[in-house]
Parts: sequence; structure tokens; C-alpha cells
Amino acid sequence: MSARTEHGAFAGTSRRGRLRARLATPGLLGLPLGWLGVFFVAPVCIVAAYSVDALSLFPGPHQVTLSVWRDFLHGGVYLHLFWKSVQMSLVVSTVVVLVAYPLAYYLALSGTKRKYVLLLVLIAPFLTSYLLRVLAWKVILGNQGVVNTFFAWIGLRAADHPISALLYSRFAVMLVLAYVWLPFVALPIFVALENVDQSLLEAAADLYASRLQAFRRVTLPLSLPGVVAAFLFVFIPTVGEFITPSLVGGTSGYMYGNQIVDLFGTGFPDWETGSVLALFLLVVIAVLTGIFARFLRVGQTPAR
Amino acid sequence: MNRQGDSLQRRLTRAEALKLAAAAGGAGLIGGRTALAGAARMRLTAETGALDVLDWAGYGNDGGQTMFARYIAQHPKDKPRFTYMTNESDALAKLHAGLKPDIFRPYVGWVEYFATSGLVQPWDPSLIPSFKQLNPFMVRAGRYQGKQYGIPADWGFDAVLYRTDKVKPKSRSWGLLFDERYKGRIAWFDDLGMLVMTGLYLGFKDPWNQTDAQLQRAQKFLISKKHLVRLIWSSETNLWEAFGSGDVWVAYAWPNDWVQMKKKKLPVVYMHPKEKPIAWVGMFMLLQGSPHVQLAHSYVDAWSSARSAKWLEDNYGYGHANTKARPSSSDLLHALQLTNPRAVTEPNAHLDRDIPRRALYAKTWEEVKAA
Repeated sequence: MSARTEHGAFAGTSRRGRLRARLATPGLLGLPLGWLGVFFVAPVCIVAAYSVDALSLFPGPHQVTLSVWRDFLHGGVYLHLFWKSVQMSLVVSTVVVLVAYPLAYYLALSGTKRKYVLLLVLIAPFLTSYLLRVLAWKVILGNQGVVNTFFAWIGLRAADHPISALLYSRFAVMLVLAYVWLPFVALPIFVALENVDQSLLEAAADLYASRLQAFRRVTLPLSLPGVVAAFLFVFIPTVGEFITPSLVGGTSGYMYGNQIVDLFGTGFPDWETGSVLALFLLVVIAVLTGIFARFLRVGQTPAR
Repeated sequence: MNRQGDSLQRRLTRAEALKLAAAAGGAGLIGGRTALAGAARMRLTAETGALDVLDWAGYGNDGGQTMFARYIAQHPKDKPRFTYMTNESDALAKLHAGLKPDIFRPYVGWVEYFATSGLVQPWDPSLIPSFKQLNPFMVRAGRYQGKQYGIPADWGFDAVLYRTDKVKPKSRSWGLLFDERYKGRIAWFDDLGMLVMTGLYLGFKDPWNQTDAQLQRAQKFLISKKHLVRLIWSSETNLWEAFGSGDVWVAYAWPNDWVQMKKKKLPVVYMHPKEKPIAWVGMFMLLQGSPHVQLAHSYVDAWSSARSAKWLEDNYGYGHANTKARPSSSDLLHALQLTNPRAVTEPNAHLDRDIPRRALYAKTWEEVKAA
């Protein structure tokens, strides 16, 4: 009886354990999946419904139509703007990665004891608001800003002929975006470089690889996943960026994100076209992320 | 007067009418329409609760308190609650999305749109003592089919602002905004007014109701001139920064922008173009089904007083529909031509009006920006 009880108790514990194990996965995943469902999937579905007129801001009869999508794909104006934004983001992402890599390399591999202090200094701008950091550039780049005043002072430009392309231009948008996103880029590269097994570099040296060869054949491939992640960190949000271009962009720095905002709320609400533009951005970014993620996995192979 | 009585009667249920009749000593049902309207007013004076106001930033508890100080003094327990709108399109989206304010303040070009939308109801001017002091031309612009849907408030002009030390206009014309000599120094305004102004410049018969061919021509013209433009501003502070720092020399602007630039000691002229400026007037509108009709009238009356009007002119640099008010600044007095009550209308200016094909205009303008 006693043995049976013990056996029964063991069996019960084991059943409970199995049940707990079975519930653990959905229990743990439930909250994030629910979050995603409510705050991502459902809103995207609503936006999709607006894009085909299944939902409409205005009451009254309306029927499902693909006409806005057709206008968008055949019109060309918004696609052209999208391509312009992609180009700007590609330039920003590439430049920022190229600038951030040596910085992260120094911090991770130089062996300095102060690397975490320096890392903190690098991300210090995060302590101020995004808006303030962007607005500060107006003071620097304006006609009477720091740069133009300095050029006039050293006699490079006449005071009444400042470099006007510094502000309210495509250049201004790309410069400010690069500045704002630099710490985001440096961090994943830093982490990737710090995880590089130092013994591999020692092995490369033992095999008479020069420092450049060791970098090209060992360090760079191993840090590539961090570089790709960093590139995505910048590229994805900047394609749809609208705060920076609206503050420093002017007419030539107007981006796709500004257009989405304006379609929803300027002149007359055109939620259908705004939804089409927003969904198109989402789809393109998702596809590009998928492609990059694949590259990310390939990049990880040599590390194994 | 009967008209307003009718509109109030329509808002009363039978049960309410009986209560009102009792309150008015039975006079409502016996004495007919006039007595019932009077009884309705008695009920209205008993309204309580927070008045929900949908207004522009700067006109609520964020700096605009003087405009409704009298209302607060009269209704200390029924303080207004504010929601902000960035433009009429934003307000329209908010209303359709379920926001239920008691009043909001679109501009004169939207009066007909909202009056026919079923979203608003007419005011009863007899409940607004300051109404008699309001500019009659602006009051008329707030009417639709004989009913007062809009109570005029702030107003101003759209015209051209430029620096006299940098810019030498060939003529007194809107064309200065398209002048190749000032490439990279021009600012346009992010508004459908740009299409109307282009229509005026190109000599269209009715720039507010352009044909498809005219709209296409205006769009093509604007796109061909966009390379000259440094900035398309959507808030005055953006314009002040760019103009004040010398990044921009020519701008589509309002009278207050001229005053602000003069304060910065810049040599500026606010041009009265030969095609005429466009005048705009803010219009308070009363939402359909508002439970605070009397409070809304009281709030708008406070806004319409000469004291509030002067404060608005002195502090925000816009004109006010109250003809008794005069700003302290002689510059502003001059820019707004406040001594001329007809300043906002022909032959001085084109008073902004309804754009029947507003959605198409918006699409056309957005494509100009995207191009």
C-alpha cells in the first residue's frame, strides 16, 4: 500500500512535471505572442483593410477595391520617393557602419581597461532627447550656425555667402541620421568583436598570418553577423524616418515617411493611400530583413 | 430669431418639452413656439459639466487662458477640457474616429464642408452678446443657407513676405514665390492654399474649383518650380527660424510673420500682390448632439469679447473678428489693415472659400511634395 502510494506519488509528480513542461512553452510564449498579435498583427490587418477600402474613415457605403494599390504601383510618384528614401538610408547605413567599425574594433580589441567607460561615453548622447539632438544640428548647420560662422572667421567663405546646402537639404538629413544612429551601430559590432575567440587570432599569428591577413580571414568574418545586424538597425528605421527630415530636410530632404504622415493628416485625410504606402514599406522591409537574416546565418558558419 | 427657436425645439424630446412647459409655468405648450424656446434657454442655463474643446495648440491651458478667462469666471466649476488639432484634416479624422468635442475651430474654407457633413449644428447668435461686435463680412462667411454655423474668431492673410535687402521683385505678384533668381531662398506653405494661389497667379477663373486640366496645369507648374524652394513650412516657428537665420528670403506668409521678422530687425516687406492676398478666418463650430450647448455659447462669447480680441492681437499677432479691438502694435494694425472692415473681402482680398473637390486638391498637392 505504502509502496503503491509512493509509486502513485512519483507517478503524480511526474504527470504534474510533464504537464508543467507541456504548459511551459505556451505559457512563456503566450505573452509575447499575444503582445505581437494585439499591437502588431491586428493593427497591420486594420491598415490593410483601409488600403483596400474594406474599412473607411468616412461613414457611408464603400466597397473593397484595389484601385489605390493600382494607382500607387502605376503612378510612380510615390515609388520614386520610396526609392529616394531607400538610397538615402543605404548611404547613411553604409557610412555609419564604416565609421563605427574601427571605433568598435578599438574598444573591443585594443585591450584597454577603460573600454566600458569609453563605451558609455559613446552612448552618452542617448541621455538627451532625440528631438533635442536633431534640433541642435540646426544651430550647427544654419546660415548663421557654427560651421558657417567658423568658415567666415577663417576666411574660407564670405560672411554674406554662407554654404546654404548645409541645412534644409538631403545632406543635412543624412548627416543628422548618421549622427543619431552611430551608437546603435557601434554596439552590435562591439559585441560581435568582443565575442571573437582571442585564441583564433593567436593561432593565426602562430601560422605566420600578418595582422591584416588575420583581420581579413578571422576577425572580419567572425564579426560580420554584428555588422549585418548593425546595418539593419539603421537601415530599417531610417527608410521610414520622418522626424529628422521634417526638421532639417526642407524640400529636397522630404522622405517617404513624411509622405505617409502627410497623407493621413494634411490637406484632406487620405487614409487609403497612406495605408498603401505604409504597408508597402512594411513588406519591402520584411523581405529585405529576411534576405539579410539569411546572410546573417551564413555569416555565422565560420565561427562554428 | 424664430429660426434659432426652431433649432432649439428640434433638440428637445417630448418629455423634456413637458418638463420645460412646467418650468415655464405651462407657457410653453400654451404660448407656443416662442415661449418654448424661452423655456429651452432656461434649461440651457442649468447645464453643467466640462466643455470639451477641440482647438489648435496654444489656445487651451497651454497659454491661451486669457481668451476664455471670462468663461472660467462665469463657470468656475465647468472648466473646459482641451484636445488639440494640427489642422482641419486632423480634426475631421478625429471626429470620424469617435472624438466627441462640443466645439472646434476650423477655418472659413471648411464652413460649407462641415455644415453639409451632418457633424455640426448652427449657433444661436442671440446667446452670444459679443456677436454684435463681430465683423459683418466675417459673420456672413460663417453662414450657410441662412444659418450661422461658424462664429468668426481669429483671422489674417496669406501673402508674400520678402527681404528688401536681398530681393528686388519685378512686380507686385505672387510670382515672387516662383522667381528663378532666388533659387534656394524661397519658402512655400504646406497647405492647399498653394494650389489656390497658383490658380490666382495663372489667372484661373475660379482657383477654388479648378477643372481637371487646370489642376494638372497648376500641379505641373508647381513641380517645375519646386527646385527653387528651400522649405515647405507647416508651422510658423519653422518659418521664423529659416527666415530669421537668413536661410530664406521670400516666403508665403501671414501678417504676424512680417511683425516677427521686423522685431528681429530684418528689412522686410509684406507684399499685397496684384492677384490679391487670400484672407482666412477661424470659425468656431458647434458639434451636433453636444450636451453643452449653452456652455459652448458662453465660451465662444468669452472668446469674442473685445478684451480677448486685443489680447490675441497683442500676443499672437493675428487679427480678431471683434471690430472694437485694436492691437498695441501699429505694425500689426497696418499689416492687418484693421481700419478697413472690408479688408478680408473684395476688392481688397479673396476671402478663402470652400474647395468642392478638396480630396482631389489634397492628392494633387501631395504629389507635388512627393515629386
